[in-house]
Amino acid sequence: MVTVLGKRVRLFRPHTIWIRKIVQWFFFLFIVLIAVNHTLAESGSAIPILSSASLHAVCPFGGVETLYTLAASGLLVKKVHASALVLAGLSLLLAIFFGPVFCGWICPLGTVQEWVGKLGRKLFRRRYNHFVPTKLDHLLRYTRYGILVWVLYVTATSGTLIFEAYDPYFALFNFWSSEVAPTALLILAATLVLSVFVERPWCKYACPYGAVLGLTNLFRVFSIKRAASTCKADGACSIMCPMNIPVDNKSVVRDHQCISCLECTSEAICPVAKTVVFTTGVIK
Amino acid sequence: MTLTSKPLALILFIIMFGGIAVSSALGWWQTESTKVPAAFTEGDFAGQANPADIRGSYTFGDIANSFDVTPEVLTQAFQVKSDDPASFAVKDLEALYLDSGYEIGTNSVRLFVAFYAGLPFDTTGQEIFLPKPAADILLGRARLTPEQVTYVQACSVEVIPAFRADVEPATAQSEETAPETESAQPASGTEEYAVKGKTVFGDLILWGVPQEVIEQIIGAPMPDPAQKVKDYASANGLDFETLKTQLQAEVDKAEK
Repeated sequence: MVTVLGKRVRLFRPHTIWIRKIVQWFFFLFIVLIAVNHTLAESGSAIPILSSASLHAVCPFGGVETLYTLAASGLLVKKVHASALVLAGLSLLLAIFFGPVFCGWICPLGTVQEWVGKLGRKLFRRRYNHFVPTKLDHLLRYTRYGILVWVLYVTATSGTLIFEAYDPYFALFNFWSSEVAPTALLILAATLVLSVFVERPWCKYACPYGAVLGLTNLFRVFSIKRAASTCKADGACSIMCPMNIPVDNKSVVRDHQCISCLECTSEAICPVAKTVVFTTGVIK
Repeated sequence: MTLTSKPLALILFIIMFGGIAVSSALGWWQTESTKVPAAFTEGDFAGQANPADIRGSYTFGDIANSFDVTPEVLTQAFQVKSDDPASFAVKDLEALYLDSGYEIGTNSVRLFVAFYAGLPFDTTGQEIFLPKPAADILLGRARLTPEQVTYVQACSVEVIPAFRADVEPATAQSEETAPETESAQPASGTEEYAVKGKTVFGDLILWGVPQEVIEQIIGAPMPDPAQKVKDYASANGLDFETLKTQLQAEVDKAEK
């Protein structure tokens, strides 16, 4: 804390995990190109060197949705391909070691919400991402598990991708196609509007795949850890956390909502070296 | 062990793209349907293709490669007009019957193929419709159990595909009361089975005229079942009246 013009102001280093932004851009453009090329392929004018796979083929959640059908009948749910199972396996492997890095580093829908959130941060500054009352926010964060159970149930009983009609990710990269249901477009619009007030609202409250990967936070190998001995308790880590996790009062972050973005660490916002770190070891 | 963002980014790329490369090498990375349905894994039909795995992206040709159903039978059953029946995609049926009021699509094809080929198909909890020609083919040619006969009769609907919107639907027997043995047989002496200008080759097959006989009369391989006999005659320099007389004779024979 420093005093500026008679007011005590908390100063944060403007560090951020810049390489995460690059990775996010990469995967966003990657999915955009695949989605566009898929549309071009349907009219016979695909760009040859690019994949023209459907979005369902490159969405790991499809691999989760089809698990029951695969186990029960040996078949994949309609529209889901084996590649979705591979991606689900790889994302789970990453999550077991590093937490839901898929959410924080790869998922293009999360990236877009972050981009929209920048507008909210400019508009509302410190109030941004703190509009929802704490108790309500805490409760709402469990709705994504309910959604996950519902999606798995309806997919298992119908053998079709029912969630496609509600999926904002599918709508985001297919909004020009007649395949997108109006409900999915509405949910996408609501997600983008809410992103102006709340960081990653879809991830926090509704994403069924985030619910799956979020569970790995409870036992993952690498965790966010805080050294109480060197911590200045300035709250920077907690303020910076897009998922509103109170990192500054935890020694190990085991919160089911952590997305491993590393924005709370000493490499980014924490001003004290080696105080908030991403590690397997014990720190004091 | 402590990790920072740059090694994490590198690991992330290595695992994702390395994993995709390894799975490709192992043949697991498939972003498109192989056009080969999964096989039954147990029971009497183990190893045979499972009709439940037919996808909308399959063509009639893909289906013919895995099941004992020809593209011509499928075009006839689903009233598809195509110069190349084998290349017709199953998912296009939905557009063809969009205005029919019934959902005729991939599930209809799955049911038809399963019953036609005598393979198991679970219809529990599903509302599946079949165009009347498809139901007639099943009732006339497939070996169905009494339960399947009842099911097919119940799900048979009179629908006109978009390209034949100008054609009146053929008068059908009541779905509930139609005896299974009569479903695919011409009703003797009725005008319904008279060869006219709007008769298509598929109608002749339905009326019991063997394909070989039709080919013999026209002196060429069986045309698209959805093609009108009159159109075929004028396109191939044949006299429609002569052709009509010959074909009607065969239809009358089939009635007996």
